[in-house]
Amino acid sequence: MRTLGILFYTAVLVLIGIIMFIFAAAFSFDKLQPQCIKYINDLLFYLQSSLNYRIILALSGLLLIIISFSFAQLILSRFQREKTIAFPTSSGEVTIALSAVEDLIRRLAGIIPEIKELRPDVIATKKGIIVDIRVVLKAEANIPELTSRLQEITRSKIQEVLGIEEQIIIKIHVAKIIALEEKERRRKETEKEEPTIPFSGYGRT
Amino acid sequence: MQREESRTDLGTIRIHKNVIASIASLAALEIQGVKRIGGNFRSGILELMGKKSFRIIHVEINKNEEVKVEIPLVIKYGFNIPDIASKVQENVRNSLEKMTNLSIKDVNINVQGIERM
Repeated sequence: MRTLGILFYTAVLVLIGIIMFIFAAAFSFDKLQPQCIKYINDLLFYLQSSLNYRIILALSGLLLIIISFSFAQLILSRFQREKTIAFPTSSGEVTIALSAVEDLIRRLAGIIPEIKELRPDVIATKKGIIVDIRVVLKAEANIPELTSRLQEITRSKIQEVLGIEEQIIIKIHVAKIIALEEKERRRKETEKEEPTIPFSGYGRT
Repeated sequence: MQREESRTDLGTIRIHKNVIASIASLAALEIQGVKRIGGNFRSGILELMGKKSFRIIHVEINKNEEVKVEIPLVIKYGFNIPDIASKVQENVRNSLEKMTNLSIKDVNINVQGIERM
């Protein structure tokens, strides 16, 4: 059903795209003759004149809206349902959004000073929790030591905060390393851009 | 909106779902480690329109007059989620039972995010 929904949206968008492309091409090559406009005009006039056609058109529009809403709801609810970790308790059920786990991991960037940027992506599977982390490091960092430390901290933090015993797989992808020289150069450039005003420290009396 | 109803000698007492949601919201916020009640796109629009935020809490009353409450939460960073969730469930259950005499079936917690203190 989800595939059907995605196909429906793809078909609608492709159709809109094709119509727009045809019109754009016709306009640019000056192929849109007054005759074509007349046909469109006649069609609109014909629809306007007959009550039955108007009803059919309105009902088809309504049906299309209902179908797209139901497909959207179906797709969104499926996505939402998949994006949580749930466990039962004596008083009910506790569900944790995977985005909450991502928030938690994002906070870890502050603990390790060598990390400039951290982007986590958490997926819950039957095997366990898979954490995919994309990091931007500072040049002075020892990558093997740092990544293993980050894996350990992430694992222990997830286990501590979520209290789960499931397997946690942590994958780290170092996306970029920011050099210190580059950083200093940037600072110098900003200094050049903002020249100091002589005697700026003195105030008027 | 459905109301919980009980009959006394003098008449009937009705408790609106919003009252149950309001009690649940206040009881949840009493727990240390709870940053705020979560929300969704619809609740955000409702809040912008000036509607109160306890509409986010979903209250369901079944035929046996049992209440099921679903609370979306945002937890403070550094706290143990299952521990906080369990404390919230207990506090909400106790507060609702104490204030309304209702039979609470489930208190479901939905942790939506983590925010710094």
